[in-house]
Amino acid sequence: MNILIVDDEAPARDRLRQMIGEAAEHAVVGEAGNGQQALQMAEKLRPDVVLLDIRMPGIDGIETARHISAFEDPPAVVFTTAYDEYAIQAFEANAVGYILKPVRRERLDNALRQAARLSGEKLGAVAAQTGLSGQRAHVCTRRQGELKLIAIADVLCFVADQKYVTVVHSNGEDLIDDSLKSLEAEFARHFVRIHRGALVAINRIEALARNVDGQLEVRLRGYGSGRPLPLVVSRRHVADVRRRLKGR
Amino acid sequence: MIAASETTNPQAQAYLPDFCAAGAVLIIVLVATLIAMVLTLAARPETGAFLGDLGQMAMYVVWMALLGTGLLCKLRSWIERFGKTQAFVIAFLLLLLLCVVVAEGTWQLTRAFSDIVIISDSHVGFLTRTIAISSIVIALAMRYLYISSEWRRSIVLEAQSRISALQALIRPHFLFNSLNTIASLTRSDPARAEEAVEDLADLMRANLGSPKNRVTLKEELEVAAIYQRIEKLRLGDRLRVRWNVNNLPMRALIPGLTIQPLLENAIYHGIELLAEGGEVVVTGSRSADDLEIEIRNPVAAVPNRRKDGNQMALSNIRQRFDLAYGHRATVDVDESPLHYSVRLRFPHEEQVA
Repeated sequence: MNILIVDDEAPARDRLRQMIGEAAEHAVVGEAGNGQQALQMAEKLRPDVVLLDIRMPGIDGIETARHISAFEDPPAVVFTTAYDEYAIQAFEANAVGYILKPVRRERLDNALRQAARLSGEKLGAVAAQTGLSGQRAHVCTRRQGELKLIAIADVLCFVADQKYVTVVHSNGEDLIDDSLKSLEAEFARHFVRIHRGALVAINRIEALARNVDGQLEVRLRGYGSGRPLPLVVSRRHVADVRRRLKGR
Repeated sequence: MIAASETTNPQAQAYLPDFCAAGAVLIIVLVATLIAMVLTLAARPETGAFLGDLGQMAMYVVWMALLGTGLLCKLRSWIERFGKTQAFVIAFLLLLLLCVVVAEGTWQLTRAFSDIVIISDSHVGFLTRTIAISSIVIALAMRYLYISSEWRRSIVLEAQSRISALQALIRPHFLFNSLNTIASLTRSDPARAEEAVEDLADLMRANLGSPKNRVTLKEELEVAAIYQRIEKLRLGDRLRVRWNVNNLPMRALIPGLTIQPLLENAIYHGIELLAEGGEVVVTGSRSADDLEIEIRNPVAAVPNRRKDGNQMALSNIRQRFDLAYGHRATVDVDESPLHYSVRLRFPHEEQVA
């Protein structure tokens, strides 16, 4: 099997590489030192298994796994952790593979043999149980074949066309694979639905005003040029939007 | 900033005993009767009149004592809200007021209902004597309660600090990560692996020593340096520590295991979550009687850190400082979006050889 090692600590990566190197049936195809790097390498190298440390700077292991699991034909994921009782409980409860550090030979072999792809829901459940918020801090997009992460804090709104969801953020627009429905469920705390096809970041709303046609529209802060967005608030959602604006 | 000496245990906070408890009421009645005896004996009763006089006196004193007990039973939680010393002063004033009221009531009642003279004294004289005697007795009682509450508090604190010192033993996360690092180094760099094992052993030994004892700053800084060496193996260039501690008198005493856990916090909650790492700055300074040590670290802007462990180490250090120095030491936390710092301030004391 081809394996990608992800850990922010060099000695921990060294050890896994040594151990995997001794087994003829496995090969290390790459090593990443953080979540961003891991996503790019997983995309490029197409490993069979990703060994993923949980506690990492930037995007932690669990969020990285959630982005990876959204890949087309995603690799299997096995977490590695030194000590995290919450995570271990969550892994046990959701039948997610993990290895404890210091890593033991047999345990590694077992985990690799049983390594399985993880569903987004499973990882969401793990995230929630480990005391993390259960929502990702980024969404993942591909721009010219290159994988890119957009911080949720930079997102102004998600707009659904017929087929795709466009994420509008401080630095432009990108297409993402997530459905508007799943985005709404995941980011309900910070986004509000304004009509059937748009979710808007609540703290980006500058004003709620009527346009020339007499329809209610939201005006967003930090949205300069770009194409005009259809940010009309549909009648069904007016009350909800007003309530969320008051509560912010 | 967070105030230094917050006591979390409600038991440690109760200054006054529970006056509603049956045991307490019994003891108070007994003590009141004894006081009545003393007063009656001191008044030199005529032969044969002792029991009669005692009866009257006991009636008077026990009434006061029971009413006072009832008052404190009802008002205890309200009184304690004012803080320790204030609570005792308020209790004293309340009881004294009660005695005056009872004395006045007794005076009026005996005048209204009895033909014989029970109180052979002027109105003012009677009230004055009652106030004088009861203020002395109440003051003594308050003093006794104050001392025993201090004593109880120190026992509770000591027990707590002993428990939390056990909990403060090196974070498992650190231990397992270090072991993993050592496992990795045994192949790639056996000499360093050996050093790491020695360092880890020293660190564990320091952790297993009695945490109540104070050590010299020199020893404490050495433990922290050993800890830093182990973490350095794991985190590489991401971990940088600047020690500005040359101003500190190395012979000064500090409760053991204070700087190392704070450095551990700085790394666990700060440096480890920064992709580029960062610099922990430890700064020591001294004023006339106090020493001050600040441990400051950068933190990641993303709010995805869990804080539980952090609180434990901090409250543990607070408790131990409280036990060692009382109110003469402070532990302050300063938090900004990009930095976190803990400042210890404690009296400069050195070992008397």
